[in-house]
Amino acid sequence: MTDTDIIVVGAGPAGSCAAIAAAKAGKRVVLIERGPFPGSKNMYGGVIYPRILDELIPDWFEHAPIQRWIVRRSTMLLSDTGALNIDYRSNAWGQAPYNGATAYRPDFDNWLAQQAVAAGAELICSTTVTGLLRDAQGRINGITTDRPDGDLTASVVIACDGVNSFIAKDAGLYKAVDASNYTLGVKETLSLPKNVIDERFGVRDNQGVDIEILGGTSGVNGGGFIYTNLDTIALGVVLKLPKLSAQKKRPEEIIAELKRHPAIAPLIEGAEVIEYSAHLIPEAGLDMMPKMVADGLLVAGDAAALCLAAGIWLEGVNFAMASGMYAGQSAVQAITAGNTTASGLQSYTKKLNETFVLKDHKKLRKIPHLVLSDRVQHKYPGFVTGIMERMFRVENPHPKPGVRRILREERKKAGISLMDLVRDALTGLKGFG
Amino acid sequence: MTIAVCLKWINASGQTDIDDDRFMGFSYADQAALEYALRIAENTNDEVIVVTAGPVGAEAVLRDAIARGAQRAVRIDIDRSHDSAVIAQAIAQVVAHCSLIWCGDYSSDRGSGSVPAFIAAELSFAQALGLVEIQVPADSLHPIRALRRLDGGRREQLEIRGQAVISVEGSTARLRRASLKGSMAANKQAIDIVTVNQVATETPPTRAYRPRARAVAAPVGNSALDRVRQITDTSSSKGHGETVHLEPREAAELIVSKLREWGYQS
Amino acid sequence: MIAVIPVRDGVAPTGADETICEASGQALLIGSGTSQALENLGQVARQVWLVEANIDATCVVAAVNLIGHSDESLILPATPDGRDLAPHLAHALGRTLYAGAISISDNKVSVSLHGGLSIADYSPLAPFIATLQIGIRGVDTISGTPTVASVDIAPITNTAQTSVISLAVLPPDASTMDLSEAPRIIGGGAGLESGERFVQLQNVATALDASMGVTRVITDRGWADHERQIGTTGVIVAPDLYIAFGISGAVQHTSGLGQPEHIISVNTDAHCPMMQMADLAIVADANAVLEQLAQLMHVESQVGAA
Ligand SMILES: Cc1cc2nc3c(=O)[nH]c(=O)nc-3n(C[C@H](O)[C@H](O)[C@H](O)COP(=O)(O)OP(=O)(O)OC[C@H]3O[C@@H](n4cnc5c(N)ncnc54)[C@H](O)[C@@H]3O)c2cc1C
Ligand SMILES: Cc1cc2nc3c(=O)[nH]c(=O)nc-3n(C[C@H](O)[C@H](O)[C@H](O)COP(=O)(O)OP(=O)(O)OC[C@H]3O[C@@H](n4cnc5c(N)ncnc54)[C@H](O)[C@@H]3O)c2cc1C
Ligand SMILES: Nc1ncnc2c1ncn2[C@@H]1O[C@H](COP(=O)(O)O)[C@@H](O)[C@H]1O
Repeated sequence: MTDTDIIVVGAGPAGSCAAIAAAKAGKRVVLIERGPFPGSKNMYGGVIYPRILDELIPDWFEHAPIQRWIVRRSTMLLSDTGALNIDYRSNAWGQAPYNGATAYRPDFDNWLAQQAVAAGAELICSTTVTGLLRDAQGRINGITTDRPDGDLTASVVIACDGVNSFIAKDAGLYKAVDASNYTLGVKETLSLPKNVIDERFGVRDNQGVDIEILGGTSGVNGGGFIYTNLDTIALGVVLKLPKLSAQKKRPEEIIAELKRHPAIAPLIEGAEVIEYSAHLIPEAGLDMMPKMVADGLLVAGDAAALCLAAGIWLEGVNFAMASGMYAGQSAVQAITAGNTTASGLQSYTKKLNETFVLKDHKKLRKIPHLVLSDRVQHKYPGFVTGIMERMFRVENPHPKPGVRRILREERKKAGISLMDLVRDALTGLKGFG
Repeated sequence: MTIAVCLKWINASGQTDIDDDRFMGFSYADQAALEYALRIAENTNDEVIVVTAGPVGAEAVLRDAIARGAQRAVRIDIDRSHDSAVIAQAIAQVVAHCSLIWCGDYSSDRGSGSVPAFIAAELSFAQALGLVEIQVPADSLHPIRALRRLDGGRREQLEIRGQAVISVEGSTARLRRASLKGSMAANKQAIDIVTVNQVATETPPTRAYRPRARAVAAPVGNSALDRVRQITDTSSSKGHGETVHLEPREAAELIVSKLREWGYQS
Repeated sequence: MIAVIPVRDGVAPTGADETICEASGQALLIGSGTSQALENLGQVARQVWLVEANIDATCVVAAVNLIGHSDESLILPATPDGRDLAPHLAHALGRTLYAGAISISDNKVSVSLHGGLSIADYSPLAPFIATLQIGIRGVDTISGTPTVASVDIAPITNTAQTSVISLAVLPPDASTMDLSEAPRIIGGGAGLESGERFVQLQNVATALDASMGVTRVITDRGWADHERQIGTTGVIVAPDLYIAFGISGAVQHTSGLGQPEHIISVNTDAHCPMMQMADLAIVADANAVLEQLAQLMHVESQVGAA
């Protein structure tokens, strides 16, 4: 007899959804979190796409601790002095069924974990999982923790311990991990009065804005983001690790430079930094994903590198919630069927393959590499803003130059060959289309 | 016998004064009190009962204490903003049968340090308050030896050999961690709830802290001029200093140069 | 108002003088060696009653009745003995207790809350009991000699509990004396991030020929001994130089600080009380500044070496 049916490690979005799904199905679930409360130490940019919750918590949008509902999404291309902004607004997103929302993780994660508790899961905080227990056949059947008398056995362990998952590695599910698969996310939370944010970003009430930025990261490959909370702004950069160390730049300096950019500075003028945090992101997508199933073990969320980071998208929480939910459901199925070996748990991988979780990843497989490539990073922002600069500049008495001429000249100036341009366009089309 | 520990549900982060359950807990002083109660109970086979006077949310600290080894928990359903005498009266009803009643020396929010003495007065128990060192006896036959803080750096040596209210300072002991199984069991433990008649207490107006003007001794001196100089002498009264924003290295260098300027460093 | 001063073996508690001033010079000294204690008090009292008796509520009540002042408010210094006695008095007389007040008059009592961040102003309607935080008021001496009367209260049938026995009072030990007499003190508070920082602080202090002091937050965390705690519930000090690293300057701390000639404060919050008090207020990360200071002083750093 095991101590419990299912142990979920980590009460982030993945873990809490796994616990909700399993507890709803009537299984005994223990959800273990190392922080003093769920979300206490968790950070991210700031936007959640929570529609996946419809299945687990139908009225989630009435209760979730949301800051603002996203009604504007922008992609900004920055050169040293210019900016190209592609901006889409939909006020329909500000109403149910909603699209995206900004939220603070200590609020959101804690709320989600409390939903698991309400569903019957047992939440244990301030406890770090330190290893896996195995039975005589070498099958995983529990965990060890840093608590006295801290071993706990279960039929299935679900690892939702986030990026760089110690458990997935311990279980041998990762291939050798390469630093270039990760990016470093660094974020500042800036405080501004609500009415100032409303005015600067053209929103009102609880409407919010999501801006993704390409360029502006001081020559280190990566990108940036700006999200609006009620009375704070999240501003951050995502930086490719090997480049970062090679360039000997500190992340703080890169953020500071971004904040000085003429297109960004007016948005955040007068704001006070109230928080600074940093976290790894598993950026390489499919190329780094581990095996997600072993005997008695499932891996979900960032622990399984399911975060989607591809330029105009930086989504992880929805992938975490979905994979967590599917993991919880598969664990329940396997326990009910009496087979918790890897083959008994295979319904999990099947589900991931059938849904957006892996479909999006497959579709966008090449995008992270494209977006973080040197060309896209260092040449395209200058190229594109250069074109815009000349298209919109009026230099009478000279007549306007033809668009084709501008294109050719700017491409040469930026040092991009026609071949490369065509190749990148095709990769982009295939990936995004 | 039974040993009681009084745990106050407070904002443990020290950062905010809003009641946010996520940041609530119990003070280091209460933690130390619980640790001693548990240590003594281990040697004497006494039962440990934890008591809090507060709203439902306060049950979290009781469960926490159960997880760490307390056997029973009682919550007195009362608003924590009541004054210490009312809180103590309510607690006294619940712990009257106990041999030892352990408290923290001060709570970090109200900080009166008066609840323990009120409990002692209410129950006509002896008290040993503000302990900084405690020797846990090997069994129930031996007394507890303890050291209490007096003012001016003095200490009082005490011996506790019967019913008493005891309060301890925060750093005297580190609270043990709860076992995993203990935590799981604690989540299921029933908590006794005691209701008391609530009386309305006055909520006084509050304002930001501002130090009061210090009284100074009347000047002495033979001439009026001397006396006036004594109270108006600007060299001893402090003007407002300078405020500078500096990088760490510059700051350290400025400190050293100021110390030289003022003659503390050669 | 009458100041009730508990006296042990001829020694009045710290702050007895301030409490008597707050009570406009009326004082009841109770305990052992009260007349000796009076001699050492300085010129603060107008009218004094000396009661040689146990320091307990029953005796105080009997004495107050005997001298015919049973309807006056009683105030005590917020020292350990005052803190212990006051609730018993409030209980015996059925009065309200205002503990840790920073100013007391018959119709207004101001109490500091939340570790000295805010003040609550009470307006008592009936006689009350209060304890006065020490070191905040200051002392104004008066001229003339006080009228002194000895009060013999009828022997009280001993209801005192015997389950807590006082074995001895130990004099201040070397380490506390060290701090209270130190001419230079470097203090550290919650702005310093780890226990190791206090080892570093101690080393820097030694290099500057100074002693280390800390706030109560730090002793509570167990990062320094009680002997190092400056303030009303710690050691009262009187240095010439005080350098504060990451200390907010709560009353309970600063009231134990005396009147240093020079104060330097390093804090990220330019507006906290400690920065307001400082001759040199440096807005910076105290940990980093300490690190740099340690390097300048050639003090070896153990912090973050791993
Ligand atoms: C800078 C940055 C910006 C981002 N922006 C966005 C965004 O805007 N939108 C978005 O959707 N996603 C964003 N992401 C990605 C997103 O944060 C993650 O994909 C998501 O948090 C993954 O959820 P998770 O539950 O898998 O893991 P996590 O949220 O990392 O949760 C893991 C949990 O496990 C706990 N844990 C870890 N180890 C142990 C252990 N041994 N024992 C017990 N508990 C343990 C942790 O304390 C934590 O609570 C961003 C990420 C970064 C770094
Ligand atoms: C009855 C009673 C008695 C008490 N007796 C005493 C006593 O005797 N002695 C005593 O000291 N206290 C005493 N206290 C506690 C007192 O009220 C305060 O809580 C305490 O003094 C605060 O200590 P602190 O300044 O270290 O911490 P905090 O008040 O938490 O202040 C920390 C300071 O560090 C700053 N800071 C934070 N990070 C950094 C950084 N990286 N770099 C620089 N600065 C930073 C913050 O801005 C803040 O100003 C007593 C309290 C009560 C209720
Ligand atoms: N509401 C309460 N519930 C339980 N214990 C309390 C409560 N208030 C005070 N205490 C105890 O009394 C001690 C001193 O508190 P105080 O008198 O408020 O400074 C605390 O450390 C607790 O042990």
